[in-house]
Amino acid sequence: MMKKLCYNMFTRKKKGSTILTKRSPIKIFFAVQNALFLRELNMRFSSGKLGIFWTFFEPFFQIMIFIIIKMGMFGVSTNGFDFAVFLTLNFIVYNMFKNIVIKSSNAFSANKALFMYKQVKPINTVLARTMLELFITSIIIIIFLIIGFYFGYDIAVGDLVMVTLGFIFLLIFSFSFALLLAILNVFTESVGRMIGFLMTGLMFTSAVFYTVDMLPHSIQQILLYNPLLHFIEMIHGYYFVSLNDNYVSYIYITIWTLSLLYLSLWLYQKLEKRIISL
Amino acid sequence: MIELHNVTKFFQTKTGKKYILKDVSLMIPSDKNIGILGRNGAGKSTIMKMLGQIEFPNYGTITSEKTFSWPLGISGGFVGNMTGKANVKFVCRLYGKSKKEMSEIISFVENFAELDNNYFYMPIKTYSSGMKSRLNFGLSLSFDFDYLLIDETLSVGDARFKKKSKEALLKKIESCQILLVSHDMGTLRELCDAGIVVNNGQMYYYENIEDAITEYTEINKKAG
Repeated sequence: MMKKLCYNMFTRKKKGSTILTKRSPIKIFFAVQNALFLRELNMRFSSGKLGIFWTFFEPFFQIMIFIIIKMGMFGVSTNGFDFAVFLTLNFIVYNMFKNIVIKSSNAFSANKALFMYKQVKPINTVLARTMLELFITSIIIIIFLIIGFYFGYDIAVGDLVMVTLGFIFLLIFSFSFALLLAILNVFTESVGRMIGFLMTGLMFTSAVFYTVDMLPHSIQQILLYNPLLHFIEMIHGYYFVSLNDNYVSYIYITIWTLSLLYLSLWLYQKLEKRIISL
Repeated sequence: MIELHNVTKFFQTKTGKKYILKDVSLMIPSDKNIGILGRNGAGKSTIMKMLGQIEFPNYGTITSEKTFSWPLGISGGFVGNMTGKANVKFVCRLYGKSKKEMSEIISFVENFAELDNNYFYMPIKTYSSGMKSRLNFGLSLSFDFDYLLIDETLSVGDARFKKKSKEALLKKIESCQILLVSHDMGTLRELCDAGIVVNNGQMYYYENIEDAITEYTEINKKAG
């Protein structure tokens, strides 16, 4: 009476009764990405009205403090560009990188519950957070442009195309680095703790407060190993007509970006299933 | 049709590997409502998730051309800061629903979940656990899947809501199948045609749920 259908009982094959219209993978990808992006946006701004306020005014206060310190200690700069604009630009670039990496590094654990929806893959959550940071950065840029324009700062862009390319280049670099850290963060707790130190270190060694040209030769030689410095040097080099990108090695940052992208994607596809079933 | 091909699944624990499945090959026919039985910790929920392809075997493959829901009874996917409505919208977007479909689903869920005092428009973190499960249950009923995955908790809400949700589920399974993990033999008899018994790293398929229940009772007797 008991029918045990076990061990290779591949007998009758019956076609499925109803054939549902299946969505194409690319459609699913965009639907998921769209849903996650709006969810992240909602999460960030639904924590009260102050959530919106701090997102946009935190960088503003941060930049104000550094401008006041710099002006107080060294006086008004006379290098042929407006130091306030210089510092603002550098902080926007640096903050974009920092926020993508920090917000993405715990994207897997924060969105763990979403992996019960089959179509949500861990990488979608990192991509969504990267896109959200890009979106916030864009709004911050617009806010600062309005402020700068209103108060009569010299906000003219030297080479808009190259500045935009610099941002896109940095975006790919940030995403690759963020994905790598997010994966490592799953398996070793220490990564999450190190990110804070790393970011503080990078703030002082990435040409945020200076251009490479202002540094003594011996220090230049060391700091030029830092890829983030090249990105920031490139962006402000093209933003201000009086600055240049002579110290930027495009080969160096391309190698960094491609290696990180390859490594993180390679690790990701190896470990995706383990991340889902955390 | 769900095909398991040499599937091995284990969890790494401090004392070694704990096997849920050891080299299991099995064919689960379509058009059957299936109950999954097994003792506590045998791996019923893990197996249900593997069949639904949101958990993966260590070795072997599980293939099916069917679509599966997310596991019902788990409401962890909701964001506390977002309103009930915003959370429902999120799931609609995940499944690529159009604006029209989305508003239909929203009004269905709102009616079904019966959240008083406009709770539907308040953040999820203000909900009681019963309200959360009602929302989740209503939500999963408003999508079309080949299989609904249900984990234990059919018993959401008070007696009246229980009756209502059971009726809704019975109506729903006219057009789809379920994979049900439960310890309640009454529910299994009522909803399932066939059964899977999980025991000692093996899983067995029974065409009749009664046979599965008999086998499960025997396993329990042997274990004392």
